Amino acid sequence: MRKKGRTILFILIAFALFAFVIGFLLWNKPHVNVKDADAVTTDAIALYSSFMSDSAKAKSAFLDKVVEVSGVVQEVSMNQQRQQVVLLKTSVPGASVNCTMEQNRNKIKPGDRVVIKGICSGYIGGDREMGIPGDVFLIRCYPSI
Amino acid sequence: MKRGIIILLFIIFCCSYCNSYGQLYFTKNGRISFFSKTGLENISADNNQVLSVVNMETGALQFSLLNNAFFFPKAKMQEDFNENYMESDKYPKSTFKGIITDIGTINLNNDGNYHVHVKGDLTIHGVTKNITTTGDLIIKNGNISATASFKVLLTDYNIKIPTIVTDKIAKDITVTVSCNYEKKL
Repeated sequence: MRKKGRTILFILIAFALFAFVIGFLLWNKPHVNVKDADAVTTDAIALYSSFMSDSAKAKSAFLDKVVEVSGVVQEVSMNQQRQQVVLLKTSVPGASVNCTMEQNRNKIKPGDRVVIKGICSGYIGGDREMGIPGDVFLIRCYPSI
Repeated sequence: MKRGIIILLFIIFCCSYCNSYGQLYFTKNGRISFFSKTGLENISADNNQVLSVVNMETGALQFSLLNNAFFFPKAKMQEDFNENYMESDKYPKSTFKGIITDIGTINLNNDGNYHVHVKGDLTIHGVTKNITTTGDLIIKNGNISATASFKVLLTDYNIKIPTIVTDKIAKDITVTVSCNYEKKL
């Protein structure tokens, strides 16, 4: 009887430990490794156009996915967290594929043709009345080449 | 004579067009962060892809961000935030549309830190609430930056916390806004 009780206690402790380890690993699991992840490939003009023409289709193809976008750099700046922001030209003046870089590269400059890999967070409409078009946003970006 | 009138009308049109953008400032890479002190672990996240437009003539002010662009130190926190709390698939954006009520006190030609009052509609998780808060507009050499900080009560926006962690997670979060604007040409 006593032995049986001890076995049950042992099983319970083992189960609790197992649950703790699983919980700990889940809680501390790393972010997606964008650099090495498989990506959906496209170019900046096509990516922007797809969100303009059929938002639902674009969302199912790109949203929250790792996307590799090729395009021409329109502007390079720094955000408030000192992360590089690279804007890729689209067919709409003033509208960009807006890429926040995880690794800054000093070499990128306006006019360069680049390939950037990042997670597509979607499109934010600007203010048409005020003449400010929206952007398609990519986060955690890396230059592919 | 007719030609002269057409030219005059054209000039008037151009002037009014330029003037409508004259006081307009915007950013597409503003920053909104939030912080919540909890019994389990402090929760913080940053979103550096905030679109904001401010009209310095009328005081009209707007912010818009994608909820899934918040970056958390831990992947699981980010997953829980998007899937369980914000339901980002269903409610992808958070927005604010309002007005700087004391815009008249700001002189763009005078550098300085202007403490301003803001009121408007904050939409989070599909729920819109009218809020009032204060902030600072910093004018320096014709450039404008803005900062503000306010609290958001989760229950106000129908954000449900699972009962198992209810006691461990704060009922409100502190939201911090920081934007550097550029002039719309």
